[in-house]
Amino acid sequence: MNLDAARLARGAGRLALAYAAALVLFGAFVVTKGANPIQMYGDMWRSTVLNGTSIGQVLVKASPLILAGLAVAVPAKAGLVNVGGEGQVIMGAVAAGGVALALDGTLPGGVMVVVMMLAAATAGGLWAGLAAVLRLTVRVNEAITTLLLNYVAIDLLLYLIYQPWKDKFGSGQPATRALAVAARLPLIGTSKVHAGFVIAVVATAVIFALLRWTSWGFRLRVVGGNAEAARRAGLPVSALLISAMVVGGALAGLGGMVHFAGAEFKLRPGMTLNFGYIAFLAAWLARHDPLKVAGAAVLLALIAIGGDSLQLDSGLPAAAVNVLMGLVLVAVMGRGQTTRRSPKVAGIPAVAS
Amino acid sequence: MSLLTEEVAAPTIEGEPLLAVRDLTVRFGEVVANDSVNFEVRAGEVHALLGENGAGKSTLMKLIYGVNKPDSGELHFGGSPVRIDSPAAARRLGIGMVFQDLRLVPALTVAENVALALPLKGIRLDRAGLVRRIEEAADHFGLACDPSALVRHLSIGERQRVEILKVLMAGAKLVILDEPTSVLAPQEVDALFAGLRQLRARGLSVVIITHKLHEARAIADRVSVLRGGKMVLVAADPTAHDDRSLIEAMVGRTVPALPATRPSPRAAATPALELHGVSANGDGGHLALQDVDLVIASGELVGVAGVSGNGQRELYEVALGLRELAGGRVVVAGTDLSGGGPRAAIEAGGVGIPEDPVADAVVPGLSVAEHMALADLKSVRRGFGIDWAKVRSRLAGLDEQTGLRMAGAGRKVADLSGGNIQRVILTRALGSDARLVVAAYPSRGLDVATTRRTQELLLERRAAGAGVLVISEDVDELLELSDRILVLHAGRVAGIVRPGEADRYDIGELMLQGAK
Repeated sequence: MNLDAARLARGAGRLALAYAAALVLFGAFVVTKGANPIQMYGDMWRSTVLNGTSIGQVLVKASPLILAGLAVAVPAKAGLVNVGGEGQVIMGAVAAGGVALALDGTLPGGVMVVVMMLAAATAGGLWAGLAAVLRLTVRVNEAITTLLLNYVAIDLLLYLIYQPWKDKFGSGQPATRALAVAARLPLIGTSKVHAGFVIAVVATAVIFALLRWTSWGFRLRVVGGNAEAARRAGLPVSALLISAMVVGGALAGLGGMVHFAGAEFKLRPGMTLNFGYIAFLAAWLARHDPLKVAGAAVLLALIAIGGDSLQLDSGLPAAAVNVLMGLVLVAVMGRGQTTRRSPKVAGIPAVAS
Repeated sequence: MSLLTEEVAAPTIEGEPLLAVRDLTVRFGEVVANDSVNFEVRAGEVHALLGENGAGKSTLMKLIYGVNKPDSGELHFGGSPVRIDSPAAARRLGIGMVFQDLRLVPALTVAENVALALPLKGIRLDRAGLVRRIEEAADHFGLACDPSALVRHLSIGERQRVEILKVLMAGAKLVILDEPTSVLAPQEVDALFAGLRQLRARGLSVVIITHKLHEARAIADRVSVLRGGKMVLVAADPTAHDDRSLIEAMVGRTVPALPATRPSPRAAATPALELHGVSANGDGGHLALQDVDLVIASGELVGVAGVSGNGQRELYEVALGLRELAGGRVVVAGTDLSGGGPRAAIEAGGVGIPEDPVADAVVPGLSVAEHMALADLKSVRRGFGIDWAKVRSRLAGLDEQTGLRMAGAGRKVADLSGGNIQRVILTRALGSDARLVVAAYPSRGLDVATTRRTQELLLERRAAGAGVLVISEDVDELLELSDRILVLHAGRVAGIVRPGEADRYDIGELMLQGAK
């Protein structure tokens, strides 16, 4: 027990050190740009954590990130690498947008939200499931297919916006018609945070429970830990791999819908703001633990919103925030772990002595 | 011709030892793995190191090879005190080690693996020269191998041969062999020992870790025994001790013999396993199993002997629906598997103890209890979840019933040693009421007492009416356990013999030459 506590404390210490290192390195970078790092961190802190409006912005931004982060974490439990969050988010948004255009005004707002959610989850799930099927049939690595499918999804989105779904009365940048107000995600109480955050929190809890307590979650961990052992234990490995990918894609699709129906209301080029990629980082930061994924998503959203202050208050370029995000990622992932004896790899189990 | 009769007079070399270990102590946390151990190896001697699982043999050898660091004590090599900080330092001194978990690169050829261990001259790899040198060395040491074969296509036994050859070719003065004979046929053991004798004749030294007492006696000039981290027998003359006294030194007590009278197989009941004209391809795409016919009755134990890589792995896998057939039919307890895969075999009542549990049976991140649940998920399901209380109570019962002293239910398998992983696999398979038990090398990596307990459990399963197929490279073990022994050669049945009508060398003959 004491040993565990000590190990935990060491882990927490290392994590704190990693974050501190990232902040110090970024501070040094900021100095070379002629800004005062202490002033800058102060501005970031004031403009986000101490500012009610910004907290709302952070949670709005975090909602699709949480969902897209879970979309990486679930396949990862089964040993799959889903780099396709971006494409799955887009497909979710496209499906939600398509449903909105097709059924506009025919359904009450609440029902419309539910239909959009279902459509988005289905679209995201199919998009990701395609990668799993390709892996199982023609043996292409899912990391490659999910990544490439992102570009297909982006082009599909652009085609729809520029051609069939374009708002003929819109001006400026091409986009679809705005979502009817009744079909938008409602705001929580008097805050500026929409119900998408609730969806993300509920999804986190559900995924946590599924992975932790169900037989499905257990079998995913078996497949992810040793697929050959899973096969030999008679588990339906292919079906489990597909299910993990489909559930992941559905979550990302839901993320797309949340962003569309909660923040954007129109399909437009570049609307997904690299959510899929940032969420990929969040999932890896959190080592695919659902609760930590949600935490990491909020943290990255905080950094992203804090990035606005970098521009406004410290006069740094907009891309500077990406430097900070990258430093945090490298520091946290590179922080090392409590060393643990690796299992014997070769054929004969070694005599323990 | 026998390794027992061919014994030559052991040369007695007096004087300064090549390697001397003085009062060496190693602690891992609270555990004292080596407690003031003294050990020495002379130039030109073969020294056998005996001891149980966890007795500290590997720790001691890893100290000598620079993997572990001592807490106190001294090492002397060639007469002067040395510090061996790393395996590289050990190799520079002329100490080579053949690990039990082999250190070859599967994607490379035999020649390329050997090249990794040799100092390279120039940038170009002189393949032809290398192949010639390997062939010469292989011939010289009596360790046949194909230099151009890919290591991943080789069986564990073949890989081990390459590994030994590699260390010998790197010019070691002292070679440490960790259980080198566990995967060799009797005749191959003779060949290996002949090679070791040649090394000895040239003044080189060999330390051999082994469980097989008759082998220690056949090859070793002196024998040392570790128990619980302490040397209980130091550099003794092996011929002065019989098996009983050596086992007692190792275990601290006597080990009971296997029951001699056993119930006869139930020929009338549905056979546990039927193979009808079974053929299957190996991983390399070649036909690894050809026209195998075998019927194992309910309550019968059939052993499988063969030089490793002659179709044992494929036989194991087809019997449990793990490998596609190229021809024939496999029937488990009356159910034709016909493409139903592992699931069909499990549902028909088949369980397996695989050759390589780390690769094929365990999930490092999961606990012991989770591995128990995995074996029989259906029966421990509760709604969408798993009834972990049921899993744990069943596990406690199994542990009691099998008496294999498994690690705690909550322990992660990644933290267990090979022997403890094997206990988990054995408890899971032998505690079940399966109709068919297929066991590949079930006692590999186990201590004397646990090996005996495993053998008893296999016989208990047999007595309970299960058909048992035991693949082993320990012919003595097969002779003790089996009703019949099937010998595989080049993927074909070279012969089926009954213990009592054939001895170790008859079987060895079939293993090496196939049916005549």
